[in-house]
Amino acid sequence: MKNAILLMLCTVIISGQTRPLSNLNTVQPRVFMLQNAVVHTEPGKTLDQGSILLRDGQIEAVGKHLKAPVDATIRDMGGAHIYAGFIDAYVEIEAPANPQNPRSSWSDLVHPEWVSADNYQANKKQVKARHKLGFTHIHTVLDSGIYRGQSSLIALNEAATISLPSVSQVVDFYRRPRGSGGYPEALLGTIAVMRQTLYDAEWYATAKAIYAKHPDKNEAPDEDISLASLAEARSLKTPFLIKAKNETYAQRVFDISNEFDLSFWLLGSGYEYRRLTEIARSKPFIILPVNYPSEPDITDPWRAAQYTTAELKHWDMAPDNAARLVGTGVDIAFSTSGLKELKRFRKNLDLSIQRGLSQTAALAALTTTPARYFGLDQTLGKIQAGYQADLVVVDGNYFSADNPVRSVWIGGVEYPVNPEPELQLSGKWKFTMEQMQGILEFKGKPEHPHGILTIDTSKFSLKNIKLDGTGISWSLDLTKSDLHDAGITRFKGSLFDHVLQGAAIYASGKKHNWTARGHIATDKEKDRPRATSSNLHPTYPEGAFGFKQLPEQYRSVFINDATIWTSGPLGILEHADLVIEMGKIKQVGKNLTAPKGSHIIEAAGKHVTPGLIDAHSHTAGESINEGSQSITSEVRIQDVLDPDDISIYRELAGGLTTIHVLHGSANTIGGQNSVIKLRWGSDAHGLVMRQSPLSLKFALGENVKQSNWGDHNVTRYPQTRMGVEQVLRDAFTRARDYQNSIEIHAKQTKWRKRLIPPRKDLELDILVEVLKGNCRVHVHSYRQDEILMMLRVAEDFGFTVTNLEHGLEGYKVADHLAKHGAGAATFSDWWAYKFEVYDAIPYNAVIMQNAGVLVSFKSDSDELARRMNLEAAKGIKYGGMTEIEAMNTVTINPARQLKIDKWVGSLEVGKDADFVVWSKHPLSTQAMCEQTWIDGRQYFGLEQNESMLKRDAQLRQALIQKILSSDEDDEQAKDQYKEHPRPNPDRDNLYWEQGVK
Amino acid sequence: MRTLIFVFLFMINAVLASDQIPAPAQTKPILIKNGSLHTVSHGVLQDTDLLFHGGVITRIEKDIETTNDMTVIDATGKHVYPGLIAGVSALGLVEISAVRATVDYDEVGDLTPEVRANVSYNPDSEVIPVTRSNGVLFVNVTPRGGLIPGQSSLMAMDGWTWEDATFQHPTALHLNWPSMHINLNRNSKLTVREQEEKRRQRLQDLDNLLEKVRQYQTLQAGKNSKQIKDPGHDLRLEAMLPYVNGEKPVFIHARDVRQIEAAVAWSQKQNLKLVIVGGDDAWMVTELLQRHSVAVLVEGTLRLPSRRYSDYREAYALPAKLHDAGVSFCISTGGSGFAAAAVRDLPNHAAMAAAFGLPIDIALRSITLSAAEILDVSEQLGSLDIGKDASLFIATGDMLEITSVVEQTFIHGTTTDMSDKHKLLYKKYQEKYQRLDFMSD
Repeated sequence: MKNAILLMLCTVIISGQTRPLSNLNTVQPRVFMLQNAVVHTEPGKTLDQGSILLRDGQIEAVGKHLKAPVDATIRDMGGAHIYAGFIDAYVEIEAPANPQNPRSSWSDLVHPEWVSADNYQANKKQVKARHKLGFTHIHTVLDSGIYRGQSSLIALNEAATISLPSVSQVVDFYRRPRGSGGYPEALLGTIAVMRQTLYDAEWYATAKAIYAKHPDKNEAPDEDISLASLAEARSLKTPFLIKAKNETYAQRVFDISNEFDLSFWLLGSGYEYRRLTEIARSKPFIILPVNYPSEPDITDPWRAAQYTTAELKHWDMAPDNAARLVGTGVDIAFSTSGLKELKRFRKNLDLSIQRGLSQTAALAALTTTPARYFGLDQTLGKIQAGYQADLVVVDGNYFSADNPVRSVWIGGVEYPVNPEPELQLSGKWKFTMEQMQGILEFKGKPEHPHGILTIDTSKFSLKNIKLDGTGISWSLDLTKSDLHDAGITRFKGSLFDHVLQGAAIYASGKKHNWTARGHIATDKEKDRPRATSSNLHPTYPEGAFGFKQLPEQYRSVFINDATIWTSGPLGILEHADLVIEMGKIKQVGKNLTAPKGSHIIEAAGKHVTPGLIDAHSHTAGESINEGSQSITSEVRIQDVLDPDDISIYRELAGGLTTIHVLHGSANTIGGQNSVIKLRWGSDAHGLVMRQSPLSLKFALGENVKQSNWGDHNVTRYPQTRMGVEQVLRDAFTRARDYQNSIEIHAKQTKWRKRLIPPRKDLELDILVEVLKGNCRVHVHSYRQDEILMMLRVAEDFGFTVTNLEHGLEGYKVADHLAKHGAGAATFSDWWAYKFEVYDAIPYNAVIMQNAGVLVSFKSDSDELARRMNLEAAKGIKYGGMTEIEAMNTVTINPARQLKIDKWVGSLEVGKDADFVVWSKHPLSTQAMCEQTWIDGRQYFGLEQNESMLKRDAQLRQALIQKILSSDEDDEQAKDQYKEHPRPNPDRDNLYWEQGVK
Repeated sequence: MRTLIFVFLFMINAVLASDQIPAPAQTKPILIKNGSLHTVSHGVLQDTDLLFHGGVITRIEKDIETTNDMTVIDATGKHVYPGLIAGVSALGLVEISAVRATVDYDEVGDLTPEVRANVSYNPDSEVIPVTRSNGVLFVNVTPRGGLIPGQSSLMAMDGWTWEDATFQHPTALHLNWPSMHINLNRNSKLTVREQEEKRRQRLQDLDNLLEKVRQYQTLQAGKNSKQIKDPGHDLRLEAMLPYVNGEKPVFIHARDVRQIEAAVAWSQKQNLKLVIVGGDDAWMVTELLQRHSVAVLVEGTLRLPSRRYSDYREAYALPAKLHDAGVSFCISTGGSGFAAAAVRDLPNHAAMAAAFGLPIDIALRSITLSAAEILDVSEQLGSLDIGKDASLFIATGDMLEITSVVEQTFIHGTTTDMSDKHKLLYKKYQEKYQRLDFMSD
């Protein structure tokens, strides 16, 4: 048996070849013995004076004293370092131009069935450039869409061998270019499509299976190769590789992966260090780009002012990211993705190593780690018998960027890398020509050196230096030298036996010999300053006003002798105290005693109110409008929360603690809203107020009928308020039918397993919750006619409108609102910015309140939200609310509207310790918010603000000094752009100046 | 009693009016008795009387004797202020910013110095009485858009026609300083160098324009001589003459520090009378502004800080920083079409500045006398002084507190109609709920 195998191996194997031969058969040597090398067999293991025996594309043996078989071609590697072939773990290639196939998904952005290898076309230049970096394989992904199909591992050999056609399912938070049309067009919709498609795939698999068994009982489900492919990936537990363009996106990946129990990988961003703990917690495999930012342009102080503090910090910290991730035990692989110039890869990698990434970890990230995750750890990533003969040969240690890659081997075939110029000139030479003696010095890059000839004290610059193999030529203007008759002299020479020598041709045409000897090479290693890792730490959130650590929750807090506005039955208490324990209000009243060890707030002369609540905000929403369709109730603000939004901090500084983050008003049924607490510094999850019920945004009037969107937007239904009503009725009718079909299917006892279940529809699910009364209904509305229409539609379908948003003509139908039980979150005094608000009046709130409608003032503006106490004061000015009523419009009333009044909105025993300390009467323009607390933690304080300002200013100065003193090479300084700008949270909301109102 | 009747009559008038009627000229002297007079020029005078006649303030003293021909208003416990002045606004040039047909502030073209605001000021705008209702009696109505949008006019908030309402025209030529921002993002369409070149070109264009104006002036002056051929007329260049000659101020709208610096340097070079409008970053270059006596018209304090890392108080505290550095300034609401309906919030902007470090009397000055000075009308407006225009109002309390309500305004001594669209709709729907017996109180 053994013999049979040996026999097989010894036979010429042609069975792998299916392509007909088009010429005579050729024989290439397939057995090599590489001797005298430093062999890095795997990360952390090195064999000095090692040999490798390659046979038929595989490694047959590795060892110190291997004996070369007779059939081997022997190569003396001259002490070169040899590594297993490197894997470029993320390379984007162009997706098919015409994506639509009648059997694929309805969406042009969903193509799990695509295989990137099918679209790979080797580009010689690109392949050679990667060989030069030591890559033998690339992991390819397609470059557009949400579901981008399957990634593939492809060898960088002549044949572009596909090592593995389907490695992972690639997913991206892709967004169409603005205005290109089609659903989805915002991050909100992208995430909804990701989720719905996964549900669809589950349903499709079930439906297909049931139909196969019971074709007589069911209607055949439509063919869908996209869903079929996704379903297959799920059943095979194929990993999902998801692009996370910053640390907040990483969390979004975790959320989706948790919901569907996906095994996932991340394409990282380099920003992971900002939320290291949270990211490391789920031990993801991260493919890291090494496209570090180039030096900020800070010499002009006003231009420097354009950089945020986080951007400046990122310049310093980005190269440390890999080491920090590895330090937490996260597995990483490296990729060239995002690099404008491939050749920066090694320099940046080198920088990361100088910053503390171990060479072992770096090698693993290029070899064994990706090989293991790609499922090829038996064949790729190591130099070991039985592995593929994929090698990188380097003149020295790879992790010193100056040592050139000599060649790569792929499948036992050597691919030499364009050799570096053979002349290593850098350094000083003693120059002699006729009687003239001097020093010839070369500097700069080996392939483009510049040179200076120094004679006595005169310096002459070499012009037109050309390298050609071992030859060199240049010209030199000698008119000002002792040899002035030489004029502009041409030099031609070559290196022979360590001596540069050749002839010079004078202006006269006369020839003279010259020599340059005694080469003293520049010691590159010594010259180069070693970078040390950044001494900075991220703050939470990163950048200005971030916390070093989250505010402490005191065991107990005691507020002494304040005027306390309870917004509860106790009204306003003067000279009163407040006791807080573990984030909850324990006691409110006069002459209380501070529990032992309390944090005490001396508040004599000061006022304390509940933390203010804004019932209508878009703060912390990275995406606001999925406005592409009239109904997008499937999208959720909770998916797109941006905890880094500086408005959170600014609003805290105005005493705000809880906000209702709404979807925009671009469409009739917009999306699901989130109630968040302004817990500055926490991640997106930490912001969310979990107790809040579901909440859905509706919108009526000009925005949804696109009245102010220009003359091109005139075809989407509805274009009138008449149509808006029908869209609503149609949606709720569909929802009711959907609910029925689910209930009917659930009731089937005998037949359930034989009938295809209704497809889970995220858009209708939430409408069903509305019908069941489990979801608050918030309706952007202005005119009385549309308000009344909405009430009637709700009544017909048996649900209640929770709140009018704006509701600026609510005063005209206040009686109907009161009867229906709808509240209103209104502007205090905005009007006349569009036609439907021409009858808006600042007395709106007071009229509605007096008619028994629950009224709040809200901001709908990151600016206004910083001074909601003054909005409340307008309730007094316009129509004469009492002070308590006025304060209630921004405390307990919005809490009741949002159905979170059990926890927030007033200072009552048992509620959350969310409160504000004011310097004066809080309805006075002269009052200043001095402290803002949430859950018994202080999130804002005037003194803390001062010290943060000071800290941030010092940090900026220090970073600017560091940038000024850094010696980035010319090449990078020439790059006028920031390499890696952090994507701006994209506010889709503003179709025109005040689009979301 | 007389006051009561007066107020009563006024209320009836308000309820019955279908629109507000411009007030008739002052025929009788009006005496406001025992008010707290916020003179602005010389402090607050408690329990003092103020008499005005023929549209002019004639006496300010304690216990002015009443005569039969006077209308007497008891202002005991009340506060009296000079009319507030908003230094830049699109009010009257726009009714509803989203409805194009009602927008008249942006003429086509980058250079429209020839257009003047007051001719398209709509004296029947519903926004005017609403603005007046909170004590803002004068607004510098300003065209917008392009490099040079046109000339502004100071309008009184009452009058049958735009001519009646014009208090001063022109007040200034407006220039929107070109953006000096460089997009450093690598996705930027233009490289940094291209952007810098473009910016340089924009500034060069400005110099060229002024050179052209001066050349035009030379040609016009000499066109009757034999040496110079009549160049024909050019309304644009013609309109710029008084500004280029430094007779009247150029209001340069500039927010970024680089714009402010460049605008100051350019105005010095070109010998222009400069006022910076906006000036968000002015606190960074107070020394420069002070040295060249450049005033800043702050375009609202109720706006967001300019940079992510800016102090949250940046805009609130800007006036205090200017004041401390000795830079002249006034505070206005914003000049955008959207902001035109919110000019009534002017005192709130000043109040916010006071909360963040500006002395409270200076805060009041910044929306009255300082604004009048910058608009060059301080001889007539901006303070309660004998001989000044009787444009003033009576309020229930401190006007820098939101809760205070304006009871009566006077413009050039006329007793203005205090109703407005909002109050009328308020009455109308109070009526609805009274009929339904639906009010809870």
